[in-house]
Amino acid sequence: MRNQLKERVAIAGVGCSRFGDLLRTPELKGLTIQELTAHAVREALDDAGLTGQDVDAVFAGNAMVHSSQVPATYSQLSKWTGTQFKAGVHFEAQCSTTNVGAIMAAMAIAAGVYDTVLVYGLETTRTKVKGYSPYEREPISHQQTWLWTDMAVNQAYAVPQGYDIFSTYNGLVAQGYCRKYGISIEDFDRGMYELCRARRLHGSMNPKANTQETLEDRAKRKGYTDPYEYWQSDDNPFVAWPSRLLSLVTTADGASAMVLTRADLAKGAKSQPVEIKGFGVSYSDLPWYGEDPTFWESDKRAVDAAFDMAGIKAADIDYLHTHDCSHISSICTAETIGYLEPGRGLHAAREGRLRFDGDRPMSTHGGRHAFGHAWGASAGSDTYEAVLQMRGQAGARQIPKVPEISVIHTHGYAMIGAVLVLGSM
Amino acid sequence: MNTIQEQPSAIRSYYEALAKGKLLAVTCKACGKHTFPPTGCCEHCGSWDVEEADLSGEATLLFATHNLTPACHPRFESMAPYVYGHLKLKEGPIFQAIILGIEPKPAALRELFERGPVPAKAETLQTDDLPVLAFRIAG
Repeated sequence: MRNQLKERVAIAGVGCSRFGDLLRTPELKGLTIQELTAHAVREALDDAGLTGQDVDAVFAGNAMVHSSQVPATYSQLSKWTGTQFKAGVHFEAQCSTTNVGAIMAAMAIAAGVYDTVLVYGLETTRTKVKGYSPYEREPISHQQTWLWTDMAVNQAYAVPQGYDIFSTYNGLVAQGYCRKYGISIEDFDRGMYELCRARRLHGSMNPKANTQETLEDRAKRKGYTDPYEYWQSDDNPFVAWPSRLLSLVTTADGASAMVLTRADLAKGAKSQPVEIKGFGVSYSDLPWYGEDPTFWESDKRAVDAAFDMAGIKAADIDYLHTHDCSHISSICTAETIGYLEPGRGLHAAREGRLRFDGDRPMSTHGGRHAFGHAWGASAGSDTYEAVLQMRGQAGARQIPKVPEISVIHTHGYAMIGAVLVLGSM
Repeated sequence: MNTIQEQPSAIRSYYEALAKGKLLAVTCKACGKHTFPPTGCCEHCGSWDVEEADLSGEATLLFATHNLTPACHPRFESMAPYVYGHLKLKEGPIFQAIILGIEPKPAALRELFERGPVPAKAETLQTDDLPVLAFRIAG
């Protein structure tokens, strides 16, 4: 494998909807999935100074077709995005979808096939089509969401046999982490509290986040004066011991988009471009880890490929997002990458180092817990945040020293590790 | 009369064997490693030259956690909450399954975690429509 891009590729524009619930979140309530997607696409095209007719191809991502009911997304969305008669495909890599789309676009551009590609992702994990209505939606039950989502997980031997995401992704990884590094359950719990506090702080500073309430405010609303007392209470139960409810993913409806183009075309464009310096992808079926639940071979391979292509090492990273559907898994991945010292990730959270104003900023949009998780749209929301940070446009949550190298890692169920390395131009 | 012969299926064979309390895997003739549960291909080296093998059902339970209700899958609604564990089988494969012999409560899970790895033995549960492979903590 040569693992090289033959031509430099840049992100020229990014867009992202608010994440939330199409039935009740401000800015989203009443929108159809077509309009939700168009909002994100329009923002990305406007950011790049282009229209849908200026792109050569469209890669349309959507994972859970059961709730969106827009397969053949490229054509069904074409008149909503101004992209009629373009080349296109509907694809999915579950929760890595949009960034795998960016990787496919980068390869197509570097190969000399297309100059400019629009990538977008849309997902509704909170609401589904109501009956046969073209515009009415209704809530999805917890069980239905996971039954549909888990269709991406081993359907021969795991899901039919009691597989449970909260156990596999949270509780077992947490225990592996504590045993490997000799961390007490009490220290683990405090570290997870601080990690949640940082992610919710970021969400509270992000007008597009699903959850914009700090952990402290939530505790107060629930009647607690001490937020850590709330954290340890039955109002924040163990969902997969020793992982608690507020360390988990928050489902969301949402859409994201980006415009990729040749780097030479991006220079002098409407907005400051960001270069795709490298990427890596590696997938695995269950089990995602061996005897040591903190080490995932697929992540390591994806990271190594991306760093090799980009010519960077861990010490070069200014901003990191790791997939944080499970907060403890996100720490393990950051340690595998080398951004955090092995076994010290939760300690870094307790010291405030993972906040936007710390020396190891992570998930400054709020991550999967606070920003929310709309499977096929989420990786694009991570890239959106990284681009804002690298342009100095992240507002109240702006990292003080504007990042020059950002790394975005996502887990696409179940499980595809995708890593993007972005660099300032 | 239907004269079309049914083709062999590793998945069907696995569940039919499991219903009788047997654990089917495949062993690779090229690299000698096990693929469990079985497919038609070696998960380690990619060889198609595999043969059926029985596993002992003996395992070491490395970690065990629990879930909440409702279960993610309707088949397990009546069983949830249940304990779910990370195991190393005697023959080498790593596997995750429902764990029997312990309550799905934080205090019990913590006590087990503090004991460290414990031996466990395969046991077949019969649900309404499918046998389910679980492991019971020994002793």
